[in-house]
Amino acid sequence: MKRAVFLFTLTLALALAANAQSIDIGTAMENFSMPDVDGKTQTLDGLKGKNGSVVIFLSAQCPVVKGYNDRIGQIAADYAAKGINFIGINSNATESLEWVKSNAAENYKFPVLIDKGNKFADKIGGTVTPEVYYLNAKNVLQYHGAIDNDRSGKTISDPYLRTAFDASLGGKKIERTSAKAFGCTIKRVGDK
Amino acid sequence: MFIFSGSLAKAALLSVFACLFCQAGMAQAPIAIKNVEKTRAAALPKVTRVDIDGLKKLLKPSGKPLLINFWATWCDPCREEFPDLVKLDAEYRGKVDFVTVSLDDLEDINTRVPKFLGEMKSEMPAFLLKTPDESAAITMVSKDWSGNLPLTILFTATGETAYFRNGKIRFEVVTAEIAKLLTPAPAVSEPPILKLLRDK
Repeated sequence: MKRAVFLFTLTLALALAANAQSIDIGTAMENFSMPDVDGKTQTLDGLKGKNGSVVIFLSAQCPVVKGYNDRIGQIAADYAAKGINFIGINSNATESLEWVKSNAAENYKFPVLIDKGNKFADKIGGTVTPEVYYLNAKNVLQYHGAIDNDRSGKTISDPYLRTAFDASLGGKKIERTSAKAFGCTIKRVGDK
Repeated sequence: MFIFSGSLAKAALLSVFACLFCQAGMAQAPIAIKNVEKTRAAALPKVTRVDIDGLKKLLKPSGKPLLINFWATWCDPCREEFPDLVKLDAEYRGKVDFVTVSLDDLEDINTRVPKFLGEMKSEMPAFLLKTPDESAAITMVSKDWSGNLPLTILFTATGETAYFRNGKIRFEVVTAEIAKLLTPAPAVSEPPILKLLRDK
C-alpha cells in the first residue's frame, strides 16, 4: 500500500514536472492569441506563413538562448523567405516587459509574444528555452525540441530544425521529429 | 634642534629599512604569487569528462542511496542551489553518494567549472557530460525530462527514484527524503484478522 502511494505520488510529480499537457507530433496546435511586446494582440493564424510557423520559447536572460540568437535570426530569415514564420514566446515570470521588449528589438526580426502567467507554456508543455514547435500550414506539429545538436554552434553535426524544414518543404518525411537539448528552465509564476 | 635632528635621523633610518624591506618584498613577490597560484590550481576540484556510457554508470547506485545533480555554470538556479547541495553532501557523506554532472562546454572543464566548484568548496565527485547526442542522454536520465536545468534525482540504494526535482531543490525537502531512505522501515505487524485465520 505504502509502495502504491509512493508510486502514485512519484508519477504525479513526474507528470507535473512535465506539465502533463503537451502536444504530440501530428496533432494540430489550437489557434492562440497573446499580446506582443507592444501590447497588440496577435494570433497564430494571423502570424503564420503560407508554409507554416515556428513557435519558439525564448528568454531575455538565458545564456543558452543568447548563444543561439544569431542562429535563430539566420534560420528565421532563411525560412521566412520560404513561407515559414517564426513566433517568439516569452513565458518567463522573472522577465519584465521592458526587458523582453528591448531584448526582442535587439535580437529578433519576428514578433515576440508575452505569455502572461505562463498559461500557454502550461497548455502545450513548454519547459525549456530555447524550445521550438514547427507547425505546418494547418498548424499540425511537425517537429518539436532543440534547434540543433550543439549549443556552442561550433560543431553542429545535426541541424534538426533546418533538416525538418527542408524535408517538409521538399515533400519528404521528417526523419527526426523531436530532439532534446540542455537549456534554461522557463521560470513560471510561483517558482521559487 | 638636537632633538629634531634625532627624530630626523630616526625617520631617515626607518625609511632606509622600509625601502630595503620593500625591495626585498618586491624581489620575492613573483615567486610568492606563483606559489599561491600553484596552490590554488592544485586545490581546484577535479572535473572528469563523461560520455553517455559513463553517464549510464553514474546513474547506478553502488550499495547506497545516490543523489545526482545536473547543472551548469551558466544556469542561475543551479548556482543558487549549489550551497545546499554542498551542505547535504557534508551532512550525509558516507551514507549517501553525491555526484554532480555539469553541462558546460568542454572547454570549461579545467576553468569555469572547477573554479565554481572550488568557490563552493564542493567535495562531491564532479563530471562534465560531453556527447554528440544530448537528446539521447536526457531521455536516458528520464523520459519526462526536457533538458532544462537544474535537475536533481535521489535514487534508493536499489536504483528506484525516490525524489525528482526539475528546478531548484529545497534543502528541507531533500533532507526529509534522504532521512526516509536512511530510516529502516518499521516491521509490518500482522493484522489481527490474518493472525486469527492463520491460528485456525
